Amino acid sequence: MRAWHRGFIAAAAVGALIASAPRVVAQTGAQNESRVYGDPGVAPTHPLEVTDDVGRRVKLPFELKRIVTLAPNLTETIYALGLGDRLVADTNYCDTPPAAKAKAHVGDPQNPSLEAIVALQPDLVLATTSINRVATADALERLGIAVYTTAGDTQTVLQMIDSIARLADLIGAGQQGAEVIGQMRQRLDTLHARLADRPMVHVLFVVSEPPLITIGQNTFIADALRWAGAESVVLSKQNWPQLSIEEVVRLQPEYIVFSEGHAGAAVEELAELRSRPVWRELDAVEMGHVVDVSEEAVRPSPGLVDAIEQLAREVHPEVFSRKNEIQDVESAWAGLKPAPTTGCGGLSPCAR
Amino acid sequence: MSEIAGDTSPLLPSVMPSPRAPGARLKVEQASFAYAATDRSAPKFTLGPTSFEAQQRELVAILGPNASGKSTLLGLLAGLARPLSGRIEVDGTEVSLLDLRTRAQRIALVQQESELLFPLRVWEYVLQGRYPYGRRLRFESSEDCLLAGNALAQVGADALRDRWMDQLSGGEKQRVILARALAQQPSLLLLDEPTQHLDIGGKVELLRRLRKLADDSRYTVLVVTHELNLAAEFCDRIVLLHKGKCLRVGTPAEVYERELLEEVFEAPLEVEMRASGRPRVIARGNY
Amino acid sequence: MRPLTPRRIAWVCAGLFGVLFVAGVISLRLGAYPISVRDIVTTLFQGVIGRWDDMPGGLKSIVWEIRLPRIMLGILVGASLSTAGAGFQALLRNPLADPYVLGVSSGAALGAIISLIAAPHAPGAIQLAAFAGAAATIAAVYFLGRRGGQLDSATLLLAGIVAASFLSAIIMFLMTTLSGRDLRGMAFWLMGDLGTISPANPVRWFEALFAVFVIAAGAIYATSSDLNLILTGEQEARHLGVNVNRVKLVVYVAASVLTGLAVSVSGAIGYVGLLVPHLMRMMFGTDYRLLVPTSALGGAILVVLADTLARTIVSPTELPVGAMTAIAGAPVFIYLMRRRVR
Repeated sequence: MRAWHRGFIAAAAVGALIASAPRVVAQTGAQNESRVYGDPGVAPTHPLEVTDDVGRRVKLPFELKRIVTLAPNLTETIYALGLGDRLVADTNYCDTPPAAKAKAHVGDPQNPSLEAIVALQPDLVLATTSINRVATADALERLGIAVYTTAGDTQTVLQMIDSIARLADLIGAGQQGAEVIGQMRQRLDTLHARLADRPMVHVLFVVSEPPLITIGQNTFIADALRWAGAESVVLSKQNWPQLSIEEVVRLQPEYIVFSEGHAGAAVEELAELRSRPVWRELDAVEMGHVVDVSEEAVRPSPGLVDAIEQLAREVHPEVFSRKNEIQDVESAWAGLKPAPTTGCGGLSPCAR
Repeated sequence: MSEIAGDTSPLLPSVMPSPRAPGARLKVEQASFAYAATDRSAPKFTLGPTSFEAQQRELVAILGPNASGKSTLLGLLAGLARPLSGRIEVDGTEVSLLDLRTRAQRIALVQQESELLFPLRVWEYVLQGRYPYGRRLRFESSEDCLLAGNALAQVGADALRDRWMDQLSGGEKQRVILARALAQQPSLLLLDEPTQHLDIGGKVELLRRLRKLADDSRYTVLVVTHELNLAAEFCDRIVLLHKGKCLRVGTPAEVYERELLEEVFEAPLEVEMRASGRPRVIARGNY
Repeated sequence: MRPLTPRRIAWVCAGLFGVLFVAGVISLRLGAYPISVRDIVTTLFQGVIGRWDDMPGGLKSIVWEIRLPRIMLGILVGASLSTAGAGFQALLRNPLADPYVLGVSSGAALGAIISLIAAPHAPGAIQLAAFAGAAATIAAVYFLGRRGGQLDSATLLLAGIVAASFLSAIIMFLMTTLSGRDLRGMAFWLMGDLGTISPANPVRWFEALFAVFVIAAGAIYATSSDLNLILTGEQEARHLGVNVNRVKLVVYVAASVLTGLAVSVSGAIGYVGLLVPHLMRMMFGTDYRLLVPTSALGGAILVVLADTLARTIVSPTELPVGAMTAIAGAPVFIYLMRRRVR
């Protein structure tokens, strides 16, 4: 009986100890309500409260000196806005522009290390709906860190551009943002004008394979294709539908578009498809209409416009004759963008 | 093999240190039972009204061929089900009315072994027999250990104490299972076909041990079996069942009648009466 | 003959508590952001005495808001899963039983998916919905698993497996046909994730979890003598006076509740419920009066250590905890199996 008693008392004591720990943990939650982040030494600057693309209220300090991005497209956008030196960390996957690879990393977009983020004491963390989890943003918010989530899964390219514009305004890069967006819009408009009287080319856009995953009608990628004068043959409402090869045979696209992004990819893919039983009988494969564009095609970032132009060249080669290209070069010199690469068209892949 | 001969350790003087009721008076009156495969189908098996009695120091055999109702009867005796009609009483109390723990304190049923899932030592196994005494979540006292030790001694398995259960031979395991039942300090000891997996040496040893338990320790022992000769040799009373009916109750000499046995076991048999007054059954060959 | 005594239980548990404490300290120490032990002790101490303002900057968040809640959650989840696993192994009379075999985790996952579709931003919705899914599955499998009005081990196992497969199929279907972005988190959740749960009200949360754990684990512990007997055979146990049907029901409900609890808050962390009871059996014997507390503590230790590994091995990338327990678990399990053959 005595042993029992002792055991019970010991267990109760330990249990009480464990049970009291949550109480102490809770204190911190209460304390953090009024702060922007956990460092008690710095008096918080007057915060600006905004609503992000998913409806979360975010308190932004006026001075945004330390930014962390949680997705490659956001990193690219930050650099495009000229704020690369304010970026203190990004993810393992951020490789555009190359300077981004040298930044400190906080992990994968899907599961970044909260500790690493907190330790960096960022003023703002950028997340996007297309690759980050709600749980990550929630957790950061509860830790008192400002998290701004952009809408990555927009339905149109223009919506995506608006999202970038909004972000640029909010982080104090309104002017830079206006320039970048102005260029993007101008290039798209030019392209649109060029392709105005051309019929749309029917394409199958391959996200990955096998299994064959393509894009649905409600994605910005489908819209991007339209800007390039191409129409996706897949009429699905799902965002990333999976197709069988039979369906592709039925749809008979004029072009098959990959987004591998490395030199010679189109040639490789064509050879690969020519070696496969059912694929090799597709019209597109027989005619050699297999095209590759950069990875930016699936990324909601400024580089998307490059990919759109690249695709337009591939599927409407007749529009981009030398005469037209000289016009391009001239207008590019007038603007701030480097000249688009030349020498593409028809069956030869674009060197990039 | 017959360790019972070498079972020289005298039964410890304090075999039952705490008072135990002497062997129960078992009274079975017109107990019958029927069970069906499902609620709605016709009864698959019935046990007709059966009556007999057993006292302390008696070793009773419930005898019959397969599917004669022996196990059903045993189940009723153990209180697993209420008889459809009639009563089964142990020391005046109806068995099926007893609560589980009290029943386990009075009646111990030794079944054929089932497979142990995890390794267990012999003494741990036997100690489990003390479960009916004390609280549900309990820790064994020194008294429990003493009683378990005694139980092991009673079956001559003292040397097996620290062995692992799954390393025992069939006969050894049988003894240990019996020891666990004895650790329950029951008044009534029921065994269901205990000799099935034993060779002749093991069978004899077991019955002799049961006989000893009945005689010296005053248990009331009931054994379900179809071993005619063993039953005749060791038991005081036989309950003969056939296709769910109790045909006869009495001493071996009274029950072992040639025509009766031939009808029950459906085989050509001969019954020989020996000098000891106990009969012997011989199978007749084709000559 | 050395029967189990409360003293032995107390000693073993004290020892395991010590190991758990060390594991906790290690887990606090390691992480993407290096903190010295001295800083940890200072931070903890200042937190306990209420001096929040004196803590070195940034440490407060990391220690108190990220690592400590994670460790505590790991302890709770590990203890719940192992206790449930030990219970199920006895209930189903199967050493290969783990807490998920009866479909509770699939039900919780389905609840979580539905809540992600319906209300992705509602705080705590996922956990509640997951627990509701678990509860519904518990009830359904119970009714399917009865035979003659009582729980029958073999029937229960079959019912659970069928439920698990059916629910998993529905989950697969939903995940492929619905393209909501929030479903992306499901893949993580399904593999077990201790990281991003930081509820709005941690005190209430942890206290509620702890209370449920104590009640359910206590219920299982109260039947541990009975379970010892049931493991030698159900009929035998009945003859010894065990109310087998009631014990099975209690263990079923309690173990399922523990599983539902663990899965609701952290997804399906695998191997813990299967391995830890076996490990503890090998070390401390098969008596459930000792096995239940040691499994709980052992599970807590395992999850805390696995989570620490998951956080630090390829820092700053965080691997899912379930992957770590599986990677560590498979070889240990194989070793155990070969030992059994002896």
